[in-house]
Amino acid sequence: MIRAYVLIAGVVLAATPVLCQAQARPAAQPSRATSIPRLADGKPNLQGIWQVRNRAAYDLRDHHAHHGMPAGSSVIDGDDIPYLPAAAATRADNFKRRKELDPLEKCYMPGVPRIMYMEHPFQIFQTGTHLAMTFEWSQVFRLVYTDGSRHVDGIEFWMGDSRGRWEGDTLVVDVTNHNDKTWFDMAGDFHSADLRLVERYTLVDANTIDYEVTVEDPKVFARPWKMRMPLHRQIGMKRLLEYQCQAELEEANGAFERDQRTWYPDDPARQREATALAASMAMPPRPASLPPLTPSGQIARRPDGKPDLQGYFQPDSGGANYGLQRHAADFLTPASRGVVVDPADGQLPMQAWAVEERKKRELPERGYDDPTAHCFVAGVPRSMYTPSPYFFMQTPEYVVMLFERMSWRIVPLDGRAHLPDHVRLWQGDSVGRWDGDTLAIETTNLNGKTWLNEIGEIVSHAERVTERLVPVDAQTVRYEATVTDPVVYTRPWTIAVPLKREKQELLEVACHEDNQDLQHLKDVRDEARRGNTR
Amino acid sequence: MRSVVVIILGFLATSPVIGHHSFTAEFDETKPVKLTGTVTQMRWSNPHGWIYIDVKGADGKVVNWACETGSVNGLYRRGWRKEDLLPGTVLTVEGWAARNGSPTMNSQSLLLPDGRRLFAGTSNNRSDEAK
Repeated sequence: MIRAYVLIAGVVLAATPVLCQAQARPAAQPSRATSIPRLADGKPNLQGIWQVRNRAAYDLRDHHAHHGMPAGSSVIDGDDIPYLPAAAATRADNFKRRKELDPLEKCYMPGVPRIMYMEHPFQIFQTGTHLAMTFEWSQVFRLVYTDGSRHVDGIEFWMGDSRGRWEGDTLVVDVTNHNDKTWFDMAGDFHSADLRLVERYTLVDANTIDYEVTVEDPKVFARPWKMRMPLHRQIGMKRLLEYQCQAELEEANGAFERDQRTWYPDDPARQREATALAASMAMPPRPASLPPLTPSGQIARRPDGKPDLQGYFQPDSGGANYGLQRHAADFLTPASRGVVVDPADGQLPMQAWAVEERKKRELPERGYDDPTAHCFVAGVPRSMYTPSPYFFMQTPEYVVMLFERMSWRIVPLDGRAHLPDHVRLWQGDSVGRWDGDTLAIETTNLNGKTWLNEIGEIVSHAERVTERLVPVDAQTVRYEATVTDPVVYTRPWTIAVPLKREKQELLEVACHEDNQDLQHLKDVRDEARRGNTR
Repeated sequence: MRSVVVIILGFLATSPVIGHHSFTAEFDETKPVKLTGTVTQMRWSNPHGWIYIDVKGADGKVVNWACETGSVNGLYRRGWRKEDLLPGTVLTVEGWAARNGSPTMNSQSLLLPDGRRLFAGTSNNRSDEAK
């Protein structure tokens, strides 16, 4: 049955004419139908880590070099972007003032298609209803719906709204709902909010995707135009790492300052001490006092028999983002019902220094120091109880978490070893496994830069996390996280938060791009440093 | 239809809080503010939206205040759209002023002249929790 489908699809494709400029097309176009990987449903398997090998991110057209802009060849059909006269003048001005005007200089989301040809790898995950693209650059992602659903209306996104369908062996994605703030490249090529894209993804061999984009924007261009380029599989690259653009910028310019006690040290001798220290607190078995991890009702399963986690969830966080321990509301800090389930008294087993530090972090002048106030990613486990939705993608090889506040976690299920200990990440290095109906995730290599919540509960570079996710009924996943961190705590502790499945779609939170609050928090901090407290 | 939405939102206004930063750090408990002014624009943004209103002081001077609302994703999911709040709308906003002394406040309630509550009425509501 599948073979018959493949054969038919191959015949359809072979009959489809390929329109492109020789220069921009992949060097070879071998016979397609036989040599490309496919999923069980017969669709071409686009999964893997991909990256361009061109200079399109600098300038889509043929160009010689400028300072900070290497030379490159055109990826555009005919090398012509058909600007309307007024738009051509804007483009020329953008080019002259690109260091000042390029949204990427401010670490704003690059938009589509620019994100696709930046010099950063990205990974594709694919199921029958969704295709996710997770990008190394600032942990941006795209969630492409292939379930026949329609575009959302009346809202704009930096990364657009992507709906895909298969035409034979080609994935065709309509991208709409763009804002007018992103560029196509560093050279100042731009568009309006009327931009519409049609992307075509065709595997031409196991390691090459022919990527074609038709661009339409009647406010800016006289007619539609096309770009086309190969995406290359990053053979030998086992996982994506992180490039947090704004966090790196603020650490470099001093706007986000090192916390000597919690951040992973730079000095190799102290790094060795940190490794030994982290290992000094063993990850305990799951506390026997907790309820059994078995589904209490009917749960859906994937074709491979594993519990089906895929979909949209909202954590029932119980105020954990304002304190893991039970407490009442205080002015504008809401109440927390308390999510600590071990120790049994619901109290975090903090060392004495941590008790004092946490009190200081609650002072108004320390509000600026919460990394999420800078719109940096929340870390583990905070990403899971920040009161904002997320989407789980589930394949036999991975569970991927896409957070509406624009970050991701990729959890491979292949039992791989963790990264070398000195490689530290905001979201850490997660490896998962199925333990019966429970997804168990071990996370290490955390950087110690995150806070557990707005009141400043503490984790350090010594933090390690074991998470357990089990669907307890059709609508609820029980989420637990056990944390060891011998820099901050006297013993391991565990939280539990229900995750509620909902019939919703992710929107997009452009936090850094629209952050109005950070300057106010900085003013409060700077005033306090001058010796005045308001 | 819209009146139904407003009633639902009145209920939501009693829900607890959310933010990506500490509201307690940014706003001052000793500075409650109640202002009536005319909307000049709404910034339809995440994780918080902002409504700007022109407020005439006792000295006749007009000051443009920035009033923080819940996230637009939360508003969008509850049926609100960009076009729903037009410039020129008169609003009464209650909340607390920012500690840094700028004409900035969080919004605990946003009231239209007929007494109806606009949006969820608070900038630190559980705006992107889909309850």
